[in-house]
Amino acid sequence: MDLFAQKKIQSTEPILIPHGELTFLTKQEILLAHKIFSELQGRENGPYSARVTMEKILTLPELKSNPFRKRICHVFSTSDMKDGSLSFEDFLDLLSAFSDSATLEIKSHYAFRIFDFDDDGTLDSRDLEKLVNCLTGETDDTRLTAEEMRQLISNILEESDIDKDGTVNLSEFQHVISRSPDFVR
Amino acid sequence: MLRQIYDQSSRMRRMSVFPQHGAALGHLGLSANEIRQEVENNTSELVSDLVNQSARARFQAIRSLPMPFSERKIIRNRVNSVKQSKTIIPTNCGQQVSRSFRRFRAGLASARQYLIIWHDTLKDIGGRFGTSVLSYFLFLKWLLKFNLFSLIINFCFITIPQIVHAPNISSVTGFRGLELLTGVGYFNQTVLYYGGYNGEVIVSKPGYNMQLAYFFTIAAYLVLCGVSLIYSMSRSFQKNFVLDTGPVSGGAWRLLCSWDFSVVNEKAIQYNKNNLAIQLKESLSERLQEKNKMDLSDRIKHLSLNVLAWLLSLGLAVGCSAGIYFLGTDPELAFSFNHSPNDLTAEASTLLLPVVVSIINLIVPILYSLISKIESYSNPRAKIYISIVRNVILKMSILGILCFYWLDFVPNSVSCWESFVGQSVYRLLIFDFIFCLIGIFYGEFLLNVIGTRCIQSLGVPEFDIARNVLDLIYAQTLAWIGIYFSPLLPVMQVLKLFIIFYLKKISLSMNCQPPKHSGRAAQIQTVFIALLFFPSFVGALSMVAFTVWSLKPSSECGPFQGLDTPFHTIFSWTASIQGPSETNWVWWIFENILRSELFYYLISLIILVITYFLWQITEGRKQLINTLRQQIVNDYDQTPHFNPNWMNTLPLDM
Repeated sequence: MDLFAQKKIQSTEPILIPHGELTFLTKQEILLAHKIFSELQGRENGPYSARVTMEKILTLPELKSNPFRKRICHVFSTSDMKDGSLSFEDFLDLLSAFSDSATLEIKSHYAFRIFDFDDDGTLDSRDLEKLVNCLTGETDDTRLTAEEMRQLISNILEESDIDKDGTVNLSEFQHVISRSPDFVR
Repeated sequence: MLRQIYDQSSRMRRMSVFPQHGAALGHLGLSANEIRQEVENNTSELVSDLVNQSARARFQAIRSLPMPFSERKIIRNRVNSVKQSKTIIPTNCGQQVSRSFRRFRAGLASARQYLIIWHDTLKDIGGRFGTSVLSYFLFLKWLLKFNLFSLIINFCFITIPQIVHAPNISSVTGFRGLELLTGVGYFNQTVLYYGGYNGEVIVSKPGYNMQLAYFFTIAAYLVLCGVSLIYSMSRSFQKNFVLDTGPVSGGAWRLLCSWDFSVVNEKAIQYNKNNLAIQLKESLSERLQEKNKMDLSDRIKHLSLNVLAWLLSLGLAVGCSAGIYFLGTDPELAFSFNHSPNDLTAEASTLLLPVVVSIINLIVPILYSLISKIESYSNPRAKIYISIVRNVILKMSILGILCFYWLDFVPNSVSCWESFVGQSVYRLLIFDFIFCLIGIFYGEFLLNVIGTRCIQSLGVPEFDIARNVLDLIYAQTLAWIGIYFSPLLPVMQVLKLFIIFYLKKISLSMNCQPPKHSGRAAQIQTVFIALLFFPSFVGALSMVAFTVWSLKPSSECGPFQGLDTPFHTIFSWTASIQGPSETNWVWWIFENILRSELFYYLISLIILVITYFLWQITEGRKQLINTLRQQIVNDYDQTPHFNPNWMNTLPLDM
């Protein structure tokens, strides 16, 4: 996912330079992110600690149709009210994790947290079921039957659950990812 | 050092599994203070680790911490304050140099976006069609780099000296339009072909030996290509065919890893979702089917159908090759031009062979896909691989027969035969380009119109990645074969690739949809790079090597006139440097090491021994992985676990 494909930047902000050392984004990408974020806030050069609500973030064209958009907002949000609102630093975290230069460990860590729908630190069969439903669409002929779902989840657990505890934890998830070179952004 | 990285990454993982929401920790019965103390201990260990690393490793490590931005900032500030309090003697110079080097690298990274060609276009394609279609365009860009490099070095080292010092453009006929298609006529005596060069030593301050320049430029380019291909192939193989221990085939990777986050178009996302559902259902039914064994008569039937299909395909390939050979050796059709250079119809008759080859390349793959419909495969991936293998056999047999014809039949029939071969390659490439354009127009545009307006059941045509990539590989093989015979051939290849890129992109957006079976894109990518190396590059290299080593060059034209084989220039050069003592060692290395068979025998032996050792190490590691897996399962079974659903395990009558 990349917001930087066709846009150009105009402003300069010397305050943002240290952010480049803490994320995987280049200086220009950070400036562009600042511009987008200011537009979402509705005013130019707003304070950095202000938060943008989840509804406004979801109007971005890159996130609008993503099946995981709400989970992405919840995972990257550091707000105390757990409402999925993002500050500018959370927004940078989001872009950094999805950028091309982020390490595999970061991407798999955040992918795990996005797939963990109940936030308990492991992927159990309920999480996997929600994941399958999210990914396969809502029409009747693409939805899996209960029997197929059960079969699929038991196949997945058989392959990925190394310690056989019935759930996939972060290490097992990262092991599956490392063995499969198709994991893309 | 490795140990430290291990410890640090495990510590970071521990920190990340302490989620900020604190949900899981409540069950463990730790009080809030104990949790805080644990987190604080982990943080200080992390900080002390980071302080001890070099600046560059530290930056990378801080960036890779899986924590929110504010916590990374806190850690970085702590590390900086510890560092500042520690430095007694400020090493200003080293720090400043490394800091400016880091800034320069960061500046380069942001400038790269503007310098890389087609960067925006490729992102757009990846966003709408996914990564497997993008891999076709990346392959095209990679081939373009090879050809550009070859063009630059050929032009600088061979063509410019020839143009400047010995221009011999003696055109027998004036420029007519037909030259662009046939490559003869006006172009015949120019520097486009081998015949336009002569092998004298250009008299200048250091004498420039044209023969050696020609030989070494082409040899250096082919060696560099080979090294680059081997490097890419091994990198790709290492990434994509990792150790497969434990149960691998199945749905896990498809569900967890294959969602393409780079796609942002809404229709494309919906399309991907439907595809994923279909693929999951298919893989489930495959697994069920594996459990039902087929009975004997069914298996015999399937096997005989497979054998029949293979026989048909191979028969078609052999038949086409024989046809091309007879067409080429027919004296009336092929060589009439050389006897009467001014005759327009004779010149046009040279176009017959390339047209026939291109028609074969267009029609026979369609026949192959029809043939494969009679077979049934248990695995859709096997079907793709088998169709790739058949198409490769067809194309390589056509190229093989053409090479045989050029190296065996042509030198005895035509004077200045190398230019003739160069012209044939030129014509083949031009017609391949023209038929590619026809394929885009009729194949994709018309099929789209038919599929959406007339016959609705056909639907929008899919973008067939395998066929398109094989076409690229075929054209690149021709270009590599033709480099020796026509040094400026890469000009045409570069122009061709440029135009094809833009046309395919436009056709893609207007006409096609992404392929349905897009799984395992990375493995197919490795197969394509391997195909580019093994039949394609190795074949072209062996053909050029055979020409240079064993064939007598034509005696009237070209830089190697009068020699027995082109390789004899090296002999005369080494003989000339044998005398003076400062260059004697070069002659000694050449004569006693490179030309002796014992050297190659010893090297092969050493490589075989090393390969055997590495293979044994791999086997040992596989066993170790199995043992560790078993140990993990045993560990889990033995430790007592807190079961959050413990209330469900109480007997019901309590």
